[in-house]
Amino acid sequence: MTSYFLLQYKMINRNITEFGIYPFLGYPLMLLVFIGLSFYLFEKTEFAHYIYILAAISLVYPLSETRRNDFLKSIFSQRHYFQVRLIENGIATLPFVVFLISKSLGLAALLASLLGCIMALLQVDQKVSLTLPSPFSKKPFEFTIGFRNSFYLFGLSYILTLIAVSVGNFNLGVFSLVLVFLFALSFYTNPEDEFFVWVFSMSPKRFLLEKIKTAALYATVLSSPVLMTLLLFFKDQFDIILVFQLLGYFALATIILAKYSAYPKPMNVPQGILVVLTIQFPPLIFFVIPYFYIQSIKRLNEFLA
Amino acid sequence: MISIEALNKSYGNKQVLTNINVRFEEGKIYGIVGENGAGKTTLFRCIAGLEKYEGWIASDFDQLKNHLGLLSAEPFFFTKITGQEYIQLLCNARGVKPGNIAERNIFDLPLSQYAATYSTGMKKKLALTAILLQENDYYILDEPFNGVDIQSNMIIAAIINQLKTLEKTVIISSHIFSTLHDTCDEIHLLKEGKFIRRVEKNEFNSLEEEMKRVTIGNKIELLGLK
Repeated sequence: MTSYFLLQYKMINRNITEFGIYPFLGYPLMLLVFIGLSFYLFEKTEFAHYIYILAAISLVYPLSETRRNDFLKSIFSQRHYFQVRLIENGIATLPFVVFLISKSLGLAALLASLLGCIMALLQVDQKVSLTLPSPFSKKPFEFTIGFRNSFYLFGLSYILTLIAVSVGNFNLGVFSLVLVFLFALSFYTNPEDEFFVWVFSMSPKRFLLEKIKTAALYATVLSSPVLMTLLLFFKDQFDIILVFQLLGYFALATIILAKYSAYPKPMNVPQGILVVLTIQFPPLIFFVIPYFYIQSIKRLNEFLA
Repeated sequence: MISIEALNKSYGNKQVLTNINVRFEEGKIYGIVGENGAGKTTLFRCIAGLEKYEGWIASDFDQLKNHLGLLSAEPFFFTKITGQEYIQLLCNARGVKPGNIAERNIFDLPLSQYAATYSTGMKKKLALTAILLQENDYYILDEPFNGVDIQSNMIIAAIINQLKTLEKTVIISSHIFSTLHDTCDEIHLLKEGKFIRRVEKNEFNSLEEEMKRVTIGNKIELLGLK
């Protein structure tokens, strides 16, 4: 069992190294980001502890995957298997539990721990055979897959828009529009298998242009219920709404170019920081987009030229 | 036509392909035979331009890769993409309109299901269907018969013969000699990254016998089965 956890530790270290950070810096950095985000969340909403418990569960959820558990069962005795699963889930939920306790939310901490333990006893078949229809089948794959993975998040954004209209809160409405684009940005964070770039008979320039055009078109489809509703109910602020929509398109272009500027590797920390900075301070796009574009062309030349 | 001259490929100090010289003509089917690790897949990846190499690979087109259908030994599939969408993606990539995909689904694949849920053989058939609908001029089929049922193997053999009729260039690797025997015009033997022999159709039987003799030898006796 010790060797199993040592192996897991090595694997995490390799992932951190691949991300472009030394592991001895990576762990404190992750902790700092976690604490920072936690404080931010608890400052922003009164429902933070619910979101927090959900976040803890979604972190341990992939550990319950059937094939992974079948493998663990095949190498450990039943007793050791359950010990491994409980320890794994315990480690994953520990930061959440500690933070909840520090906020004097004992009941929520207890609930997070309990759910973590229950998840250790469950197996989830994530290879669902039920096919969810997608409106983005004509031009696979980013939105096709992304929509299937997170369609409910778009539903939540639409509900937020309706709430914003019903309470007359324009800022909440804009936030729901931003959310749609943020979810769409997440479709472009991981590099695809090189075959799916190589297979295109296009120049790198056209390849990037097609990717951006498809993203813009499909993001318009996903954001239009929010956009139309806001334009209808907050007519006076139509200019602000359109600016946010436009910024969403620029953010999409930025993330696509950032992704291929590192391709076939995942985006590294400096690139990630540049993307976040650009989203927070949009004028940066005038520098960041050309930079990522030039880098992307260089990277894609290896596969397309 | 694909022409390869003085092709060398190494990973660090490990030489994987050494001085490969070969010409693949249109309207012919070529088999590449070799043990695991002989360099077959690396050779295919070099031809496809997925690996950097020393030497020359030329074709009738400026960019060979844009006219090449590549069937990998283990095709990759996204988790939540249907068979139909996979075909659409590959056709979009080449600017080809696939028409009615359901009608052209000759392997009767469940195209509305996620491809990742397919069996090994079904995945192979899907990947093959997709590159066929791309209307390529060259095909590299790395282990096309692996994991596929007998009926589908017969269909794949017939497809390969049809590609020959259509003057396409097809390069196949297979561990199942009989499939190469039936479909290929020439077989090239790859050993430790070198082409050591080129065999034409009339010599296939003697090649098979020789391979059996060299590969099996007296190894079975050494097992001491009782």
